Amino acid sequence: MFEQIDPRSATPLYAQIAGRIRVAVAAGELRPGEPLPSVRQLASKLRVNPATVVQAYRDLETEGFVEMRQGAGTFVKEVVPERRATERGKRAVDLVRQMMAEAGRLGLTTKELQHAIEQELEARIG
Amino acid sequence: MSNAVEIRDILYRAGKSFEVRDLSLNVPGGSVYGFLGPNGSGKTTTIRLLLGLLRPVRGRITVLGGDVPNDAPRILARTGYVPESPHLYPMLSVDQLIRVHASFYPRWDGAWGRELQRNFRLDGVTRFSSLSKGEKGKLMMLLALAQRPELLVLDEPTDGLDPVVRRDVLSALLDYVSRQNATVFICSHLIHELERICDWVGVMDRGRLVAELPMETFKSGIKRLRVSNPPPRIGDAPFVVLSREPGAGAAETWVVRGWEPPMSQYFEQVGAGLKEVVDLDLEEGFVELLNTFRQPVQ
Repeated sequence: MFEQIDPRSATPLYAQIAGRIRVAVAAGELRPGEPLPSVRQLASKLRVNPATVVQAYRDLETEGFVEMRQGAGTFVKEVVPERRATERGKRAVDLVRQMMAEAGRLGLTTKELQHAIEQELEARIG
Repeated sequence: MSNAVEIRDILYRAGKSFEVRDLSLNVPGGSVYGFLGPNGSGKTTTIRLLLGLLRPVRGRITVLGGDVPNDAPRILARTGYVPESPHLYPMLSVDQLIRVHASFYPRWDGAWGRELQRNFRLDGVTRFSSLSKGEKGKLMMLLALAQRPELLVLDEPTDGLDPVVRRDVLSALLDYVSRQNATVFICSHLIHELERICDWVGVMDRGRLVAELPMETFKSGIKRLRVSNPPPRIGDAPFVVLSREPGAGAAETWVVRGWEPPMSQYFEQVGAGLKEVVDLDLEEGFVELLNTFRQPVQ
């Protein structure tokens, strides 16, 4: 789930981690009541600062995706279906923004980018 | 939270050519502090000063609430140190080295030491001189961690290690930090590695501290801007301009520090246009910061 954590990205690491979990919850990969990895496990696995993982979990708790139970760990909460759809939509927008930022860095114009996307989609769909 | 390390106005001279001057730095307790700087900038010297291995001409050093060098023995018993190059008895075996090391540290955790030895796949009977570079690196980290230190001082702990070993060593370090809330002071050339694990950054150059700030601030505040119709003189900009270079046509590329989005107003006020704001990663930001320190922008 966390393969694509990128420390060089402008998105802070905690936001990237929270984002991955949000998508996993929205997609049903993580089911309600299921535990998240402990802070220690995840920090060690991703080789990130434990405070980064704690911050990601806190943000998810504030947003109502997970519940932190004292001494027991962090667990996925029930997410209503509309919320899931919204999350997936948000994720799609995030992806597009990332792509646009990268294109800007490479000096590509919006037109060139749009053209490339349309071509790729066409090739994929048939 | 109080600081695990505080250095105040240190002056240190080594011969005629090198000195550490006006050095003050703070390592907050519980932080992972990345200490960056080019070769010869004074990083290892600073580490040796804070461990009491070198004496400053003047200034004050406090580590874990104690005074260096007066309280050094008490401080060192609670500090794990991985030096740049390992200096253990070459003829002793891994098991012997672990036993010798353990006898110096009252808080030594034998069970965890054995667990690390298994995870790192270090054969107990191998002599230190016969270990590979990666195995030596793993052993050094094991010795520093199993003494359960409150402070870890790591001088290029992963330098020259292959990616797999580096991963093992860093995972063990972060596993420990999550359990113990220890403070880590780490020097490394592998900036991308630090970018993942650090929450504070200190940058040294030529014996002086160039910058010290939270990682988030460092990363979010340094930007590359594309500016059209740039003003000839920067005047009182709300950010610090690290560099400006001519681009296509009348445009310029600026690298700035301390950037926040509302500051784009500045460009309207001076009759310039802000075309683009690009994020820099830690390595690019670090390089720009050093360049300006050496050659301030007019």
